[in-house]
Amino acid sequence: MFLRLSKLSYTYPNSDQPIFQDLNWDLEGPGFFSLFGFSGVGKSTLAKIASGDITGYTGHRTTSDSATLLYSHNNERIPGWQTVSEHIAQVTPPQKARLCREIAERFSITANMDRRFARLSMGQKNRVNVLRYILQDFDLLIGDEILANVDEPTRNLILFEIKKLFPDKTFLYISHNALEVVKFSKIIFVLPQTPDGIVTKVLTMPGLDEHAGGETDPRNVERMVFSLLKMAGSGEA
Amino acid sequence: MPFIQRFLQFLGIYITGVMTLWGVKYFFGLSDYLVPPPLELLEVAASDGIRDLLAAANTMLVAVAGHFVAVLLATFVAIIGRSSTLAGNLTRMAAFNLQAYPVVAIAPIIFLFLGDGLASRLLIASLICYFPLLLSFIGIFSQPVDEVEHFFKATGRLNISLELKIRTFENLDKLITVIVGSGTTAMVGTIVAEFLAATQGVGYVIRKALYQSNLAKILIALFLIGLFSSIYLSLLEGCGKLVKKRMIGI
Repeated sequence: MFLRLSKLSYTYPNSDQPIFQDLNWDLEGPGFFSLFGFSGVGKSTLAKIASGDITGYTGHRTTSDSATLLYSHNNERIPGWQTVSEHIAQVTPPQKARLCREIAERFSITANMDRRFARLSMGQKNRVNVLRYILQDFDLLIGDEILANVDEPTRNLILFEIKKLFPDKTFLYISHNALEVVKFSKIIFVLPQTPDGIVTKVLTMPGLDEHAGGETDPRNVERMVFSLLKMAGSGEA
Repeated sequence: MPFIQRFLQFLGIYITGVMTLWGVKYFFGLSDYLVPPPLELLEVAASDGIRDLLAAANTMLVAVAGHFVAVLLATFVAIIGRSSTLAGNLTRMAAFNLQAYPVVAIAPIIFLFLGDGLASRLLIASLICYFPLLLSFIGIFSQPVDEVEHFFKATGRLNISLELKIRTFENLDKLITVIVGSGTTAMVGTIVAEFLAATQGVGYVIRKALYQSNLAKILIALFLIGLFSSIYLSLLEGCGKLVKKRMIGI
């Protein structure tokens, strides 16, 4: 699966200044990738342009033939009239019912399946949302802060599970957590902060691409986190 | 206990109003012909009460029917008007322009064409509560609920019926408030229609009493209007609670 944005320029409605100008970006899956940058730099906007949720840009967006791209964010809710299990049963392809039960068990949401979404904690809501998305047919799933309210050990477990269960799929994970991004990603795409607020390039940095059971030298992780933050702040690769 | 609460609120206002009227009467020494004494009010209630009660019940039935028609029509038109197609844009433009024109002003034309029977009362009652309903419904149905709709849209599952269900559910409280609120307008519309030209209903009773300068009869009619309004609005609130309980499950 590949995604290519060429000469991309985009200006928000009612804004005089573009946020992206002549931006080029290539993403070639499968694997677990991340999009990193400080708040307000345009990560969600770029992700929505990539998924096709935002139009009205100039430049070209190319994807592999008939690729299904999904974009999800952490504020999504399921319809309030359904319980979690009713909703999941409705939106899960029948052939994935068993996988659904397994993932629900691993994500520790089985006990909440008969509850309505409004009755769940923020972290449980995030997990239910991730569950329903990963059970869809997709080639690229963009997760915009999709685990923002989940505690760190559970978040790590979920990310390891996703990498293990779907090695042939492409994930683009958007997070402000530099440590997590460094540990899990194959490649980290960085949107650098610029003085005029116009992003003209996407920087890349290799991640550690850790899998369950893997252990990286903490000093190496620390060094990479520092480099990533420096790259996001100054735009220096 | 929504009915008792509503009725007691109305009763409080009604009694305060009548007491003030009698206070003015005795303070300024106004004649019994202008403001009837308490005893005359009771006599009129005893002699005409049942007949007027039936007239008020008749008004309420017409208001309920008119309100029902208005809700159905507003829902149907708002479904068309919510879209950004040419038909949707035209519907919205027509709705915003037409609602600015007072229905009472075209009521005489309706009576000329349809006569002074049920059809005219029903049509005027419907039209008076239809436009406020329509504008609210268009607003609600055309406002996306992205947090819920996004998943269905992204996975190709969002159809018109699901979209409307989501928007209705997310705005249920607002919808119920608008429908209950327009119940009062439906009652007002029916009474206005009856007052203008009809030959039935409590509006007609008030018109006759006005020609006879019979304030006692008007006061009885006002009491009955308050009574039936309380009944109808309580019924609507009850239905709203039932719908909420069924949809939300609490």
